[in-house]
Amino acid sequence: MEFYLGLLQILGVHTLLGLSAYIVLLTGQVSMAQAGFYAIGAYVSAICTAMLGLHILPAILIGAAVTAVVACIVAFPALRVHGLMLVVATLAFGEIVRLFFFNLDWQTVIDGKLIGPNGAEGFRAIRFFPENGWETGDVAGFIWIIVLCVMGILWWIDNSRAGAVLRAVGHDEIAAQSVGLNLTIIKVSAMTAGGFIAGLGGGIFAHTVTHIEHGIFGVLLATFAIAYPILGGIGSVFGTLLAVLFIQGFLIEGLRFIGDWRSLLFGALIVVAMNLRPTGLLGERMIYFKDLFGRKAQASNLGKEID
Amino acid sequence: MDYFFAIDLAQSIIDGLLFGTTYALIGIGFTLIFGVMKKLNLAYGAAALAGTYVGLAGSLSFSLPPLAVFALSAFGSSVVGYFVYVGCFRFTPDNYPMASLLASVGMLLFIDELIIHISNGMPYPYPSALRNAEITLGDIWIRGDLIFVFLICVLAMGFLYWLLYRTPLGLATRAVSQQPRAAKLCGIATEKVNALTFLIAGFLGGIAGAMTAAAVGVLSPIIAMGLTVKGLIVVVIGGLGSIPGAIIGGLLVGAAENVFLLLRGVSERDIYVMLLLFLFLTLRPDGLFGTTKSRD
Repeated sequence: MEFYLGLLQILGVHTLLGLSAYIVLLTGQVSMAQAGFYAIGAYVSAICTAMLGLHILPAILIGAAVTAVVACIVAFPALRVHGLMLVVATLAFGEIVRLFFFNLDWQTVIDGKLIGPNGAEGFRAIRFFPENGWETGDVAGFIWIIVLCVMGILWWIDNSRAGAVLRAVGHDEIAAQSVGLNLTIIKVSAMTAGGFIAGLGGGIFAHTVTHIEHGIFGVLLATFAIAYPILGGIGSVFGTLLAVLFIQGFLIEGLRFIGDWRSLLFGALIVVAMNLRPTGLLGERMIYFKDLFGRKAQASNLGKEID
Repeated sequence: MDYFFAIDLAQSIIDGLLFGTTYALIGIGFTLIFGVMKKLNLAYGAAALAGTYVGLAGSLSFSLPPLAVFALSAFGSSVVGYFVYVGCFRFTPDNYPMASLLASVGMLLFIDELIIHISNGMPYPYPSALRNAEITLGDIWIRGDLIFVFLICVLAMGFLYWLLYRTPLGLATRAVSQQPRAAKLCGIATEKVNALTFLIAGFLGGIAGAMTAAAVGVLSPIIAMGLTVKGLIVVVIGGLGSIPGAIIGGLLVGAAENVFLLLRGVSERDIYVMLLLFLFLTLRPDGLFGTTKSRD
């Protein structure tokens, strides 16, 4: 049981990471900076609880807010470029953040022990959960309440005018601009929101693993972040959730029994999935129940194919 | 600035320029693929590494001479590059670039894991040429193996130029990269040209991988990520779609990296390289030689 609750925690923080990339992807931007945002959230909120003695909830909110501010500042110069250039620019930003924490050395003495980020060794003893007697199940519940809140808000945004605006920019920037949308503001807001969610996820992540170091937040984590929404399909937030379940639950945990060959199969399955379902597992559009079971299902499905 | 510091600086810059040719080759590979496909191939560094391991396998099992090992690496990487094309680009839709992007990430993980699986993740010694030779200019020493790396890379670039500008094959490649639809109308088989571009780019990547391994002396799976990231940086600094830009970008990154290594030490070196890149992106988003037209 402990194992499955632990797995639930992992799924929760990865869903937050995927959702942070999802909202940026809606505007058509592939951002590799999410691992960097995740790192900022993780370090800032860990500093808040371990060094300043705050409660977890304000700590992760402060972490997320700081990350959102950083994301907003970075977004202005970075979003001047498109496509490949943006991938590289955000990749560079992510690496700058990682290397910043690699070189960050700031420790204070608390209860006779040195606590704080210590360069390459990382940040040890972020022990808010064990110190306050939270069980694995409590933590998993806490994480999933936050995940569900974020998913709900994103679902609501997606179905409101804001979602239509984001998708309009993602589909065709020139067309969006010509109907009077301000591209810069929309992209920067998406990036800021993505930063906030990534910071939230990073803050929770730091407290579940109790020890963070720069190596975790590398290019690999950034590719995972964009892999979730692309693999799941950017039709709705459930695509990201499904992809997290598929990758973390099935490919990484579920295939443990095949041993060494698991990691090989992992990359190969992503290649196969993208060849078979290029727009993601759930596709590029939101799927409604009435599409699947309703009377008009046949007709509307035909309509989709013509598009 | 005293005399010894000046010597150190000159030494770093020369070493960096010589080694920068490998970055230039990787950058050219990215630019070539982007030119014809308008897509990013993130598995490129991994394919180059896989080719280098093919060369290493030849070296270990048949004890080939270094030059044959390098050639085997280049051809091996070429073949892996073709598989990357078939797996990630041939059957994914043109109008949905994210599919091929993620597929190439999957391929990157697959190739990386395959290498780790076969080699047990152990670093292996890699042969190099002219290791004991050196040229002395006053107080500056130039390592013979770095000169060899430089010469091979320049040779590869010359070969590429000949291929692109002196053969019908190159004409077709340039036609596809300028305007795929018009090229198709003129009777050029774009799919064949695309596959061929992956073969050529893979060849260059294999040489770059072999030369990196030869300059370092050992081969380990870690260098794949370095090759990919440095190659992307080179492309951005030089300008997307520009081969001279990739060459100059490669030399610039190589030199800048070594100067920062001298000034700030190994752990902070990459921060400054990334900052340089970020500056380039914000102040000159098209790179040194890029045109606004090459962006969509």
